[in-house]
Amino acid sequence: MHNMRLNILFGGEAGQGPNILTHVLGEALMKQGYYVFYSRDYQSVIRGGHNFNVLTFSDIPVYSNDSQIDILVALDENTEKIHKKDLKKGGLILKGHPSNMYYAGKLFKILGLDFKILEIELKELGKRFDENIKESEKGYKDAEKSIELVKVSSKKSYFTNGNQGISQGAIKSGLDIYYAYPMTPATPVIGELAEKQEENNILVLQLENEIAVINAAVGSASTGAKAMVGTSGGGFDLMTEGLSLTGMAEVGLVIYLSQRPGPATGVATYTGQGDLNIARHSGHGEFPRLVLAPGDPKESQELTNQAFYFSQKFKIPSIIISDKHLGESFYTLNENPVITASKKLISFGRYNSYEKDANGSAAENAEIIQKNVEMRLRKAKEIEKEAGKFEQYKTYGKKNSKNVIVSWGSPKGAILDSIKDLDCEFLQVLYIEPFPDLKKEMEGKNLILIENNSIGQLAPLIAEKTGIFIEDKNKILRYDGRPFLCDELKKEIEGRLR
Amino acid sequence: MTNLSTNTKPTWCQGCYNFQILAGVKNFLEKSKIGRENIAIVTGIGCHAKIFDYINLNGINTLHGRVLPTCLGIKIGNPNLTVLGFAGDGDAYAEGMEHLIHAARYNSDIKYFVHNNQVFALTVGQPTPVTEVGFKDKTTPQGVKIYPLNPIKLMLASGASFVARVFADSKQVEYVLKEALKHKGFAFIEVLQPCLIFHPDISYGNKVYSLDKVGHDKSNFGQAWKRAQEFDYNTVKKIPLGIFYQTQKPIFEEQFPQLMNLKKNKIGWKDVKR
Repeated sequence: MHNMRLNILFGGEAGQGPNILTHVLGEALMKQGYYVFYSRDYQSVIRGGHNFNVLTFSDIPVYSNDSQIDILVALDENTEKIHKKDLKKGGLILKGHPSNMYYAGKLFKILGLDFKILEIELKELGKRFDENIKESEKGYKDAEKSIELVKVSSKKSYFTNGNQGISQGAIKSGLDIYYAYPMTPATPVIGELAEKQEENNILVLQLENEIAVINAAVGSASTGAKAMVGTSGGGFDLMTEGLSLTGMAEVGLVIYLSQRPGPATGVATYTGQGDLNIARHSGHGEFPRLVLAPGDPKESQELTNQAFYFSQKFKIPSIIISDKHLGESFYTLNENPVITASKKLISFGRYNSYEKDANGSAAENAEIIQKNVEMRLRKAKEIEKEAGKFEQYKTYGKKNSKNVIVSWGSPKGAILDSIKDLDCEFLQVLYIEPFPDLKKEMEGKNLILIENNSIGQLAPLIAEKTGIFIEDKNKILRYDGRPFLCDELKKEIEGRLR
Repeated sequence: MTNLSTNTKPTWCQGCYNFQILAGVKNFLEKSKIGRENIAIVTGIGCHAKIFDYINLNGINTLHGRVLPTCLGIKIGNPNLTVLGFAGDGDAYAEGMEHLIHAARYNSDIKYFVHNNQVFALTVGQPTPVTEVGFKDKTTPQGVKIYPLNPIKLMLASGASFVARVFADSKQVEYVLKEALKHKGFAFIEVLQPCLIFHPDISYGNKVYSLDKVGHDKSNFGQAWKRAQEFDYNTVKKIPLGIFYQTQKPIFEEQFPQLMNLKKNKIGWKDVKR
């Protein structure tokens, strides 16, 4: 049987409500039993500009969008102008009405869905119910059913994004305090946690800058609190001196690094994976750390949880590296995350940013320095061993295929969707540090690297750890601030299969 | 009486005024009923920070400039702790300036001592933001050109609820620590601590006077502001010492029910079961 995969693009100015419209429709479809994925493309403006979301849904799991659109919902004229070229032959354009929920009704009718389902969604939304129901009824009346959906049975699923995964993972790990300074795309985690702080008895604080944030977190962590900080690249740069301090003082801390594209301010509201190298190497001196890269919201929960586990057990910094695409896109998931309990193992004592003696006082003695350095080296080995208890990488697709795609982080979704009927295996690296032993998986294979950056930062890491080099022509790299799209990526992969 | 001595032999220069600060703090804390386990100290980087090694208390000898956010984090981690911060003038007024202004604004119950010797001493004598015009060292052969900052005025303007300045004399330090601990909220205490090697004091002597003895009203902001201007850190005419200003403002920790609960139950986050 042929699987259904439909793409709906919702576009408009910031403030016209394309987000609520997308989310309401997505949730309704998810509850019906469809798999829904939507991503958000928005500019760094508060009102006006051009924002759009693409919602893709199917009767089978879906984790990405396509470049070609089935239905274009244009809340303003600009949307039609910009996206008409992406409309499939015979695709629909819905336009000419000022209210977002009008289109919710219209889409329900076109897709042959029961209006009652929409009513329930709008009730749950709460805000402006009367107005929304009136508009959507109007839209429902104005349309005809024209698309026959593949029937599905409803199942237990949840609709969530990567940032919610990070927040949930932190709460389930026993987070006490979250410190942050606002920086897109990490900011939503502040809101997620702040909203839930009283019911979970946690504290969420915004301080004067990222330097204060990480140093306050070190202070709290030294008293035994489970502390976490969150930021994007620029803020992370400011935190790196503090990161080095956690390595020296041996204070466990969890750091959420949500990537945006470019050096400096880059592109604030778009996506990229350019910060793998800073996650691995930032902070002066040599000290052990953990770097984990989730590829979906469930892994965001699980790896945040593992970050806490390692931070407490080994008193080290743990970095969770994600990006805007994973953080803000909504996924339909139907498996619950696996959570490992972590005890609070840090207790208040005498901590030092200097190399220290047995009393916690500054030391310059050669023997003490050497002993401390060797302790940190031993710790790195112990972490490596402990990491073996967790899933450090995953494989998907055709086992033992000669073609192996390698990637990390958010491209996972588009890769999973595009390799469904290709002769290839997909290897997703979850543990960047400590890096898993992948030599056996990669030796003699036609390796294809997929990353959302311009130099393919995973490739030199693979070469360092396995001695295996990935050919430049086998690197599929996207660095325009946009995520990979399934239909385009599939063509790119096909051209590299052997 | 608690013994807070350590086995570490002090490496401050002979006669260094830091010994006076150490003695004042140690004398007071050893006699006080707070209890060693209820005190946290945080030090920055510089000569002042060696105090961490000479006083047996829990805490963090943290990064240069980061004493205040570290203090704040400890206080939030366990609001039952008495948190004392020690910084140099380089720490407080150069590297960590942004934290100082915000600490005054937050008004967390932290007592912050700035050992002000008007010079970067441990890096062998460079000027800080409070060094006088004309000061010369290897890095400034043409002499300092920039007029110094007046930290007392800065703290008053930033809304600090307790602003004091003392000389590095153990009795004065003991006195001001006692007063600062009685105060609820952020206490800014500058300790004039001349560096015998790189910024030796020769002229403070009879120019200092005690605010207590001239009928200064520490609850009067206008008076405090006026007194603060008597010493501009550039030329020494008159140097008022004592508490310039003290007022009661909402305390940071008390704004959060989560922290008030910890306080009520006399626990830190470490003891919160989940």
